[in-house]
Amino acid sequence: MSTRTFVLPLLAAAVTAALMIAATPFVFASDDVPGPPTHKIQYSPYPEKNFPNRVYFGDTHLHTSYSADAGMIGNTLGPDEAYRFAKGETVTSSSGQKARLARPLDFLVVADHAENLGLAPLLMASDPTLMATQFGKELRAFVDKGDLPGAWNHWSTTKASGKDPLAANQDVYRTAWARLTETAEKHNEPGRFTAFIGFEWTSAYERNNLHRNVIFRGGKKNADTILPFSAFDSVDAEDLWSWMAAFEQKTGDRLLAIPHNGNLSNGLMFDDVTLTSRKPLDRDYAARRARWEPLYETTQMKGDGETHPQLSPNDEFANFERWDKGQLGPAPKTPDMIPREYTREALKRGLAYEAKLGVNPWKFGLIGSSDSHTSLATTTEDNFFGKVSAVEPTADPIRFNEVIGGIGGPPEAAQYHRQASASGLAAVWARENTREALWDAMARKEVYATTGTRLVVRVFGGYDLAATDLQRSDFAEQGYRKGVPMGGDLKTAPAGKTPAFLIRAQRDADGANLDRIQVIKGWLDAAGKTHEKVYDVVWSGSRKPDAKTGKLPAVGNTVNVAEASYTNAIGAPFLECYWKDPSFDPKQRAFYYVRVLEIPTPRWTTFDAKIYGIALPKDVPASIQERAYTSPIWYTPR
Amino acid sequence: MRKFLREPLLHFLLIGIGLFVLYDVLRGGNTGAPREIVVTEARVEALAQNFATTWMRPPTAQEIGGLIDDYIAEEIYYREAIAMGLDQDDTVIRRRLRQKMEFISEDAAAAAAPTDVQLQEFLAKHPERFLEPAQLSFRQVYFSTEKRGEQARVQAEQLLTRLQAGRGPADPAAAGDPTLLPPDMHSASPQLIANTFGSDFAAQVAEAPVGQWSGPLQSGFGLHLVHVDERVASVLPAFDQIRPIVLREYQAEQRTRSNKKFLDGLRTKYEIRIEGPVARPLEQTGTSTGVQGGGAQ
Repeated sequence: MSTRTFVLPLLAAAVTAALMIAATPFVFASDDVPGPPTHKIQYSPYPEKNFPNRVYFGDTHLHTSYSADAGMIGNTLGPDEAYRFAKGETVTSSSGQKARLARPLDFLVVADHAENLGLAPLLMASDPTLMATQFGKELRAFVDKGDLPGAWNHWSTTKASGKDPLAANQDVYRTAWARLTETAEKHNEPGRFTAFIGFEWTSAYERNNLHRNVIFRGGKKNADTILPFSAFDSVDAEDLWSWMAAFEQKTGDRLLAIPHNGNLSNGLMFDDVTLTSRKPLDRDYAARRARWEPLYETTQMKGDGETHPQLSPNDEFANFERWDKGQLGPAPKTPDMIPREYTREALKRGLAYEAKLGVNPWKFGLIGSSDSHTSLATTTEDNFFGKVSAVEPTADPIRFNEVIGGIGGPPEAAQYHRQASASGLAAVWARENTREALWDAMARKEVYATTGTRLVVRVFGGYDLAATDLQRSDFAEQGYRKGVPMGGDLKTAPAGKTPAFLIRAQRDADGANLDRIQVIKGWLDAAGKTHEKVYDVVWSGSRKPDAKTGKLPAVGNTVNVAEASYTNAIGAPFLECYWKDPSFDPKQRAFYYVRVLEIPTPRWTTFDAKIYGIALPKDVPASIQERAYTSPIWYTPR
Repeated sequence: MRKFLREPLLHFLLIGIGLFVLYDVLRGGNTGAPREIVVTEARVEALAQNFATTWMRPPTAQEIGGLIDDYIAEEIYYREAIAMGLDQDDTVIRRRLRQKMEFISEDAAAAAAPTDVQLQEFLAKHPERFLEPAQLSFRQVYFSTEKRGEQARVQAEQLLTRLQAGRGPADPAAAGDPTLLPPDMHSASPQLIANTFGSDFAAQVAEAPVGQWSGPLQSGFGLHLVHVDERVASVLPAFDQIRPIVLREYQAEQRTRSNKKFLDGLRTKYEIRIEGPVARPLEQTGTSTGVQGGGAQ
């Protein structure tokens, strides 16, 4: 393999780009936006039932050419192409390759960086509707005299006078934001495909990743009353929450924010103090964080964020698609930062905060998403279009060797594109594919993360669930009647009762079999110390846990590395389990979430090696076990 | 007046104006004295308005001061940078300007709203882009081959015989095995069926007879008896029902065309020479097409 190292500072360029862009909205013209299409609802089963009955897969974190760090470095595809691709159309990628999803997504959030959306004034003179106005005619007079700078000045000063010269002609006032919201509106087809309006607030405090994706429940009408809140406005999430509150109050619409990549925050994502005032977290902070950030994006292209070997030394699956060298910038990671960066530890520490403050700041559900900057929401190993357009599929060494993390830092802080993870997806349990139904499910945390595949998992927890409920054909109905779904809460246990769980998991319809289902419990003991334990609750085949260690043997591995193939000769297509916590203490706060592991399948780098006839990179595995993480069910004694 | 506004010559003129203004801005266009920075009242108001748009409240006096300072700093840096030629050969700036040009051309394309006649012509020309997919409503009973082994097929066939003879249980799904697969689907597209049951099953159920139990069909999960209640062929909806979608597709095509025309037009103004040995493009081997069921094409 070539030992050349390509250190194109893509992200550095992006940050520079973001900084160079002025924050004045530009203007363009357009036709009226058509309303959502009046298609017949395609699929609405079990009309007599009223609980969520289907899982919808989507990406809440996709960038298009409207993001500075995409459009400025080679991505030529805008939001329209992004939605088309997500809906299953064949799209020509920025590198000229035909791309298509084997199966379309059910929903998509185009979450372009807010820092890119406020642009320098565009040349409004291209807008003929403007010429119908008095102002347009004045402008024209300058032009006719040949005084172009005069026309420009007249435009900018009149616009800046506070009296909107075009107030009577709002069509002229469309911004890049309006263009994005318009595209979302055009592609939103209730019942068939949901196009959410959203953006990414890209706070990079001292180059540490504190980014949040903001998702709108409603449509263009409300969204167009604001411009996305950007890191230029503030790098402190507390200000973002205030902004969100103001928007909700003003419009009656709803917003939620999803943080991601604590693994690149160098200890700031789940810090014990506030960002700018450096004060210990208090009840008010905890309440606001829990209110505005009901979800966390726990797995994505820039690494898996469930847990870390340092935090979970007894979890043999903890070392998965790990990105722990530092941040996006040069500052390397130190071990003390790790506990404030990962999902499982944050969930545990959240229990301690709740005991102390009365509110759990980190009571979040879990999703995965892509963070792709190619406008292509690709999350499977056999169809990975990479982090940015420059590293789309190619035999060129840039695809493996491009530095995409630890940019400008020492070699030990570098993360290379070969380490990028073809991950992940957000899975949402809902009754119908609409903005409202999916957003509401996100808000109540009835969601789970996958590392890119579409494995299905369903969990119910409750005190009255019985082993026989597992076998019932109305399993879900029993689950909702006697318990709570993923993301739910269990209150003080009745005397002598123990939380029981009904769990079913099914492999991706066209994917790999399942290895096992695990329940991960975290709890807070009487001394205020947090603990975690991973339970193997059901697995494929006739494996027996080791008598000494209690560990279940590995499922095996059918991956043929040279051919980048595997078979479903091992594992099971479906696993189910009734499980009761064997060491339940009704006085201890706890959470339970489910992890489902697939059998090993080839990693994207293995597909690349096969297809392009190139050497496998040495520092990434040839095969991986894709997985799902459900939102927890919390146990909170009064 | 309206007709005048649709005049391509006008569009071209306006685009031309745009280019001049752009050029002027690029050169640091400012009509004031070179060493003078005037923060006009209008500018201050604009800064305040921008702030208010973002924060949904007016800025305080202190915040206004900060905005003005920031504006002055930006203006100074901007002018100095231009004077130093820092804008030259900067990929980011070049790309941004290219994007603005593309916006201009797209806006010109979007300016004229198509008539219904034009849209109907477009629909007639590309009916395949607007077809409603076929729809299938069916029930299914699942038999796990994991659980039942070879008996799965035998037992499925036994149940099928009973169902076909009208002697089946009231809830046939209960005779099968627990699963997360839905017991029935209503008006589901082939794509949705494939997403849920896998592509093998989707292909088989598309051929299953209507109005009776049949099977067992093989899927990645096991065996299934199916009862297809209704099959609706793919149809082209009436124009009125899909006007917004036709408009979306029409505009998308206009945009692509307009971009190309715009660029082609500009290209004619240039004489283009490519010097030196042209690097042989990397052999196109296609993309990482999925070995396991799917992927890019």
